[in-house]
Amino acid sequence: MSKRHLLGLAVCLASLPALAVEQGEYQFNGFGTVGITHMGGESDLDYGMQGQTNDGWRGDQLSKLAVQLRYGITDTLSVTGQLGTKPVQDSWEAGPGNLYLAWEASDNLTLRGGRLGTPIYMYSETLNVGFSYPWLRLPEEVYSLVQLTSHDGGDVLYNRSTDIGTLSFQVAGGQAIDREQYALDEMHDIDYRDVFAANLALSTDNFGTFRVGYAEADLKITVDDTVAFGPASVNFPFVTYDGNKGKFSSIGHQYDDGTWLSAAEAVKLSIENNEEAATNAFYIMGGRRFGDYLAHVTYGQLDDPSGRQVSMTYGLNYSFSPTVTLKGEYKRVDTSQGEDALGVFQGNAQQTLNNAFGQSYGTPDADIFSVGVDFIF
Amino acid sequence: MKKLLSALALLSCATLAQAEVAVIVNAGASAAPSQADVANIFLGKDKSLKGVDQAAWNPTKEKFYAGVANKNESQLKSYWSGLVFTGKGQPLPTVADDAAVVAKVGAEADAIGYVDAAAVTDKVKVLFKLP
Repeated sequence: MSKRHLLGLAVCLASLPALAVEQGEYQFNGFGTVGITHMGGESDLDYGMQGQTNDGWRGDQLSKLAVQLRYGITDTLSVTGQLGTKPVQDSWEAGPGNLYLAWEASDNLTLRGGRLGTPIYMYSETLNVGFSYPWLRLPEEVYSLVQLTSHDGGDVLYNRSTDIGTLSFQVAGGQAIDREQYALDEMHDIDYRDVFAANLALSTDNFGTFRVGYAEADLKITVDDTVAFGPASVNFPFVTYDGNKGKFSSIGHQYDDGTWLSAAEAVKLSIENNEEAATNAFYIMGGRRFGDYLAHVTYGQLDDPSGRQVSMTYGLNYSFSPTVTLKGEYKRVDTSQGEDALGVFQGNAQQTLNNAFGQSYGTPDADIFSVGVDFIF
Repeated sequence: MKKLLSALALLSCATLAQAEVAVIVNAGASAAPSQADVANIFLGKDKSLKGVDQAAWNPTKEKFYAGVANKNESQLKSYWSGLVFTGKGQPLPTVADDAAVVAKVGAEADAIGYVDAAAVTDKVKVLFKLP
């Protein structure tokens, strides 16, 4: 589906809710981001979760649009579907997103089945809803590590009030077959089997929300590509997982008292039989609102066996209206502690092979500028 | 004449801005939630009482959410967008105005709402007021 058609559909659907809300059976919502980003300082390598950030001004890493329709089959049973478009490496993908049935067994317990957002990170399930977090670019040191965003299966949501706050527990399971994984500047097919994810969050009245999470899956992927090897071209296998278990654990905190806000998340990734994949990363953000403006600063750090990446992000947001936020960000990224340190920079297959034979990446660094608008409707 | 009307309009706004907001429950209700409990009810975290919200973003609603939850309209929408798009919550049902809130809270034993203090009747009980 082209962007134009999708926008047309969004406008068409946006004309529905007046009628739908009166019936009390439909809830229609949408979200989107229009943004451009540019990287200066590093010309040989791309940057980011899918490598779209480079030395051109590009609008296809940050921009996306989605609509969500929720229909109440009964008072306690509902179906929710999302339709959207977002960039995947160098092209746009459009189509259905999450689609699930939800049964509210009680005020405290909900069971869901279908295609669901997988709760990997603190901001996992609203990864695409930029309006719900302060940044234009989520801290890539953490948010580039696991590319799984949804799975087919079920989950259980449970919450209860306690003396110290509201406790929420979520456990999810299922699989994600024939998904795409960005690696070596290309997309590759990947299967996630036996996906399991659980998290516990405590939302306090005065001290913000604390969250711990764990996720694991059995990975099946072959990352290979044709590369020049001396005078010949050969298909070279770089990474092969055949059921290797990937494990991801995280701890996070969010605070927002209306004027001051903060967020921090520390994560650990490991993949069975691949010590090079062992990664620790964290970010810490602080911000303050001044009327309709929000100024924020974030430090991010990623450590893996090849070295370290650190970044500082300075952002200024302007609440244009209650549903539209204009955001601007400057991010400085540096790598260090190893000639092979890539951090979130992305080399292609040939660069990776050349690096294996001694050609250094040379501790890449970058200045990344981003401007965009987040909105909901 | 225009100046007079503008002055009256400003005066009217000032009066609205200074009006107290009363948080109300049914006259027969035994529950007496604290201000923090009320915030949790209207943020969908606590379902012990049924919150009755106001549809339009009016001065009463602004004062209520600023007073109990430290949120303005944009922050409240951002909060709910995080729940709506995860399927983990939906904004509370709304009614049109103060009179409708009083009517609903007066009729339902487990309802809770907020209104301009001047709209309170004997069908409801005031939990606390926000100045």
